[in-house]
Parts: sequence; structure tokens; C-alpha cells
Amino acid sequence: MPAHQKTCLALGFGLAVLAAGAVQAQEAFPSKPIEVVTHAGVGGGTDITARMMMVQAPAALKTELVVANKTGGSGSASFGYAASRPKDGHTIMLITQTHLLTLLQGKGGTVKVGDLVGIARATEDPQVLMVGANSPYKTAQDFIAAAKTKSMKFGTTQIGSVDHIAVVGFAEKAGLWKPIVVPFRGGGDIVVNLVGGNLDGALLNYAEAESQIKANEVRALIVFAKSKMDSLPQTPTAAEIGIPAVYSTTRGFAVLKGTPEDRIKLLEEGLVKSMQGKIYQDYLKSSGQSEGSVVGRADWQAEIDEFLKTGDAALTSLGIKK
Amino acid sequence: MDAFLAGMAILADPYMVGIILAGTVLGVIVGALPGLSGSTTAALLLPITITMSPVASIAFLGAIYCAANFGGSITAILINTPGDPSASATAYDGYPMARRGEAGRALGMSTIASAIGGIFSVFVLIVAAPLLAKAAYSFGPPEYFALAIFGLSMLAAVGSSTGLKNLMVGAFGVLLATIGLDLMTGVDRFTFGVPELSEGLGLVPVLTGLFAISELLVQVGRLQIIPERLGLSAMKLPSMADYRKCAKAIGLSSVLGTFIGILPALGATTAALISYNETRRWSKYKDEFGKGSIEGIAGPEAANNAAVGGSMVPTLALGIPGSATTAIILAGLIVQGVRPGPHLFNEQPTLLYAVFASMLASNLIYVVLGLFAAKLFARITLIPDAILWPGVLVFAIVGAYGPNQSLVDVWVMLSFGVIGYVMRRYGFSPAPLVMGLVLGTMVEETLKQSLLIFDHNWLLFFTRPIVVALFVVTALSVCAPWLARAIRGATKSARLRAAEK
Repeated sequence: MPAHQKTCLALGFGLAVLAAGAVQAQEAFPSKPIEVVTHAGVGGGTDITARMMMVQAPAALKTELVVANKTGGSGSASFGYAASRPKDGHTIMLITQTHLLTLLQGKGGTVKVGDLVGIARATEDPQVLMVGANSPYKTAQDFIAAAKTKSMKFGTTQIGSVDHIAVVGFAEKAGLWKPIVVPFRGGGDIVVNLVGGNLDGALLNYAEAESQIKANEVRALIVFAKSKMDSLPQTPTAAEIGIPAVYSTTRGFAVLKGTPEDRIKLLEEGLVKSMQGKIYQDYLKSSGQSEGSVVGRADWQAEIDEFLKTGDAALTSLGIKK
Repeated sequence: MDAFLAGMAILADPYMVGIILAGTVLGVIVGALPGLSGSTTAALLLPITITMSPVASIAFLGAIYCAANFGGSITAILINTPGDPSASATAYDGYPMARRGEAGRALGMSTIASAIGGIFSVFVLIVAAPLLAKAAYSFGPPEYFALAIFGLSMLAAVGSSTGLKNLMVGAFGVLLATIGLDLMTGVDRFTFGVPELSEGLGLVPVLTGLFAISELLVQVGRLQIIPERLGLSAMKLPSMADYRKCAKAIGLSSVLGTFIGILPALGATTAALISYNETRRWSKYKDEFGKGSIEGIAGPEAANNAAVGGSMVPTLALGIPGSATTAIILAGLIVQGVRPGPHLFNEQPTLLYAVFASMLASNLIYVVLGLFAAKLFARITLIPDAILWPGVLVFAIVGAYGPNQSLVDVWVMLSFGVIGYVMRRYGFSPAPLVMGLVLGTMVEETLKQSLLIFDHNWLLFFTRPIVVALFVVTALSVCAPWLARAIRGATKSARLRAAEK
């Protein structure tokens, strides 16, 4: 083959690639069902959040959505799966702080800190310090005074989890004795042991103990949020008793870096719109989560970055991260 | 009383009966398929239930839950593949019966025992939910530890091989239970860098491998042998004599299953395993177990369905779900604006009675289904092995992959198929392995939690009345053979002395 023919071929091939690329860019999005990857098993809290969002999402995003439950490794398995999918916006992750802690510990496989692009926040659930009804501590001040003279036993979910870090942070900021952390499988077990008197206290979400609070079996002492909760009008915030601490369990949608900018924008609009629908808002209200849970990309990304900073320091001080 | 009648009135509403019927049929089907469980189905259908009325949506989910637990036994009996982990104990004796050509008898007993257990637990739920709800609070880690020790004390006796072999297999199961994230330290153990293993070995793949795949390997070696087909007897339903023989097992297991279901941390699987042990312990025909004892079906089946009603107690009375499926039912209630908890019994009694009525109805519907369909399903055992078992293999792979959509689970299942085959070749029963796997995690975690709570002073275990009672029962059951011998010896010498006089 003579040289000029080669050049022509190469040119032609290059043009073809360019043309294909142009077609690719103009291809309608979404063109197939969107997968929502979560680390929670079917029926877990995060799984239910995803499914509640999905009720009204097909109308807003003009496509079907499916949940992919990739349990395992506190989010590692879900990162692994999301990284194996094309970054074309048809795969979104529903992440929690657990995922961020997993990334910080370097367990995200090929996904590294900074590879996550936030789209929209889905839930914000403040942590609340609770004690059993038979506990001698009637107020936040009682509890804190006692905790300065002995180590309190706190129930938490696994070591290095969001609530574990919150317990340690609270103890440091309030100048308490080093707490004894008793890990449990889930919030339900912790509530039972609070009522049964096996634990001194726990940081839980309101919904986890709502029925016990209503039945006066559990007392809420401190809300770790910026403002008081509607569902707990009597309970002071941490700031009101002089401890500058805010902790919440947060979930939100994200994609991996490399997803086209225009598609992220479409996803943000669609997700925010579907989460402002009645069904999702009712779910937020009935599960005791804050009404301002749903925020867009800018605020959510700022929160992710902030948490990555504080989480890093906390893991290091717990000795979990070398 | 008005509320009770209003709740029962839903059964006169054709729409509601249709919903319950649909839920029950669906539940039996997904229960029978190893890859789909009641909890997965309930979660998938949760968004659909939002559009229904609160009563209809919970009736629907409740019917799926009741029926799925029964459905699991169908495949456990016919092809040694528990459709649901809670049916694993049913396969120990159900499958040998099906091989003997008594599939109909086994399925019929499973149907009746399931329904009696299920209905008993719904009545307990109706009468005692608010009272029993409080019992859950007195079970902390120390009490669960004592309960798990009680369960493990039976390791040597569960399964069809010798005591020593059972203990070896059980210990292996406890060892396998350590795979995964250590709850106390957050460290991954024996996961070899596979993130999917950090949750521990999935019960579904392990069971499917141990039972179905190992059976497939056994069958491969038998293809030259033309088995004698007992066509007609396969359709025979249990006789009155069978029911009389199993009455004790069903009664005992219904009570035990309901109680274990009420404890928030334990579900139908544990209930079935512990009931299988207890049925065997109290049976007059101990030597039949593992070889096709009809009591060995009646016990666990009554228990796993009784655990359904039991686990609804903490769900409705405390808002604490006792199992994966009740967690979804709880979410379904919350979405409907109903907050479960102690106040629910005063605020919305009609809704509660409607839920109870629908669960009762579901239990009755699958009896009719089960007895009619038993004859139909029993024909599965008449399919030639060369066609049936490849089908089972496909089924098992789909089943292991399904719950987590993970290939790791498929590999786990296939590995356990080989392990199960080797165990059976050398006369080890797989039952203690399942026991060890389920109870091993519980023993380890509750012991560490208890020691943290007791400030590492283990003597404090003996300050808890429930713990002491369980320890005493465990000690008695371990020492039972020597005690019996001692008592016999004492009465004999007393008789001799009396004769000398």
C-alpha cells in the first residue's frame, strides 16, 4: 500500500472516529435503565431510601431505575461494582459516610478519595444521645457530669462506623472519660439493650428509637444537630449546652469521576425533583429525618469534602488508620 | 372487641381476600425457589404497596412472609435444596423420605405442621403481643450467649452420624463462622482480600452447596443404577397415625418457635435448627432421625412458621424488626404513616387486627394449596435423575447468585458442594455444620459484648436469672446420660435392698 493511501486511510479512520464521538455526545441520556448501587442489603435503611426515591423518579428521569445491592466490605463491594461499569451516568451510587470512611481506610479498590462526585443529598438524620428510662441521668448535664468521673458504656454499630466516631468525638469535645464502646449488629439491638439497662447510653437516629421514646422507655438527652428537632422539642442541641458538635447519618447520590458533566446535571435535576415529590417527603417525615434533607450538588459536595477531613483525623486518633 | 370484629371483617371483602390470596401464592412460589426469599420479594414489591391502603399493603406483605416460610420446605424435601434458609433443617429428614418414595407424606406433614405453627403464633401474637413485647427487653447479650451455648450443647446429637463426627463438623462450622468482619475490632478475618466475604459466608450459598450440590455429586455416581420408582405411593398424604405420632413435636416446636421468633435477634432459621434438636431429644424414635423421620419434618416446619408470628411481635409492639422480612414490613408500615410501637395497640387496633386476620387467612390458604399441590409437586420425584439434577444445578447457581448478585456466592456454593460431598462420602452429616455456622457467630459476639458490659468480670454472668436457668438446663442436658444411669443404678440397688429384706 503506497504512503498516500495510508494517509488517506488514517485520515478517513480518524474522521470516522470523530464522527462516532460526535454522535456519542449527542446520544440521548438516559438511554437505558439507571442502576442505583447501594452497599445495603435488601430491606436495609439505605436500600429503602433508594426505593423510596425510585417511586417518583421514572417520571422525572424518563427512564426506569433498578437497585443493585452490593453488600460487603462496608461499601468496598459497591465501589468495586460501580468502578466496573461504564462512567456514562447510567450507574449512580447511593453513598453514606460509611463509604467515605471505607475510602479513607484505602479499602475502595480502584476508587480513591476524591473520585466521588456528589449529585444530591437524600437524607440527613441527626444523631441523638439517648439513655434508658431507668437510667439515673435525667438531663444532658447529669449525664455529662457523671461521664467526667467514670467511663460510660456506649452501644454503637461496628468499630470505625459513623456513630463510633461520633461517640469518640463527643467524648473528646465534652471532656469525658474515655468511653467503653460495645459494638452491636444494628440500631434495634442497641435500643433493646438501652431499655434493658445493659448500656449507659448510645448515639442513635430518632427513627431507630421512636416507639420507645413515645412509650417513655428511652429518653433523648442531646440532639447533635444545628437546630432543635421538630420531633424532640424538649431536647437541647449540643451547642445549647456548650458542646460544639454536629453529627448525623447522611445518605446521598454520587457518581464516579469521569462521568460527563451534562449528564451529572440532568441526574441532579431528576433526582432532586423526584425527592421533592410527595411520596419521598412523606417517607422523610415519617422516619423522623430532617425536612431539609434534600439538597443539590454544591451543598452535598461541600459536606462530603468536610466529612473526609474530619473522618481522616478521627480514624487516625482511633488508631484504625495508620 | 369492636376492633377485633372490624379487623376480621376484612376477610369478607373480596378485594382484600384477593390481595391475601395473591400474596400467599406468590409467597409459596418464591419460598420454593432457592434464589428468591420472602425478604427479597417483599423489598422488590415495597414501592408497589405504597399505592395500596395501609391494611391492604401490610396484609399483602404479611401473606408473602407467612407463605414463603412454608414454600421453602417444598424444594428442601423434593430435591434437597432448601428454598429458604429456614427450611434447611427440613431437608435433613424430608429428602430421605422423598427418596424412599414418600414425598407426598413429607409434603403433607410439612404443610399441616407449618400451618399449626403459624396459626398458633398468630394467636399468641393477638393475645400476648403487648405483654410478650416486654420479654424482649430482658434478653441482652449475656442471655443470648447462654441461649447459644444451649444450642451448641446439642451439636453432638444433631445429624445422623456418630457423636464424635458431629462434634468435628460442628467445630468446623464454628470456625467458618469467624470468616468476615470481626464486629468487635472492625478487622477482616480470613477474607483474603475479597470484599464480599467481609459479611461472612452467606447462609444461602452454603446451604445450597452442602445440600443440593453435594447431592448432585452423589447422584452422578449412581446414574448406572436404575432406581425402583414407587410412583403411586409418592402421592400418598400423611395418615392419622402420622399426625398422632407428630403431635408432640408440633406442639413443642410451635411454642419454641414462637418464643425464638419473639427474640429480636433470632429468626426462623435458628428456630428451626433448635426445634429440630429438641424434637429429636424428646422423640421416642431417635434412631429414625436423619434417615427420614416424619417427626424431623414436623418439628422444624412448625417452628419456622411459628417464628413468623413471633417475629411480628417485636415488630408491631416495639418497632424493632426480628428478621429481614419484618424490617421491610416495618418500612412498609412507616411509609403508610403507621408508627409501630406500644402505643399502636391503643391507637390503631383495627389495623392490627386486620393484619392478624390476614396472617391467619394466609396460613389457611396455603394449607389448601399445599395439600392439593403436594400431589402435584410430588411428581417431581418421578422425573428421571439425568434430567432432574442438571436442572437443579442451574437452579442452585441462579439461587446462589440471586440474593446479592455476586459471583463470590456462586463459588462459595460450589466449594461447599465439594465439601459436602467429601463429608458424606466419609459419613459426616452436614447438619452440625449449619448449626455451628449460625450459632458460632452468636456465641462469639455475645460473649465479647457481655464481657464489655460486665467490665471483663465473667462471674457477673451468674447474677442474671435467665442466664443461670439456661446454664442449668444446658448442664443437665449434657449430663443427661450419666444422670439417667445414676438414677437407674440407684433404683436398682434400692430394689435389691428391698428384696433382701
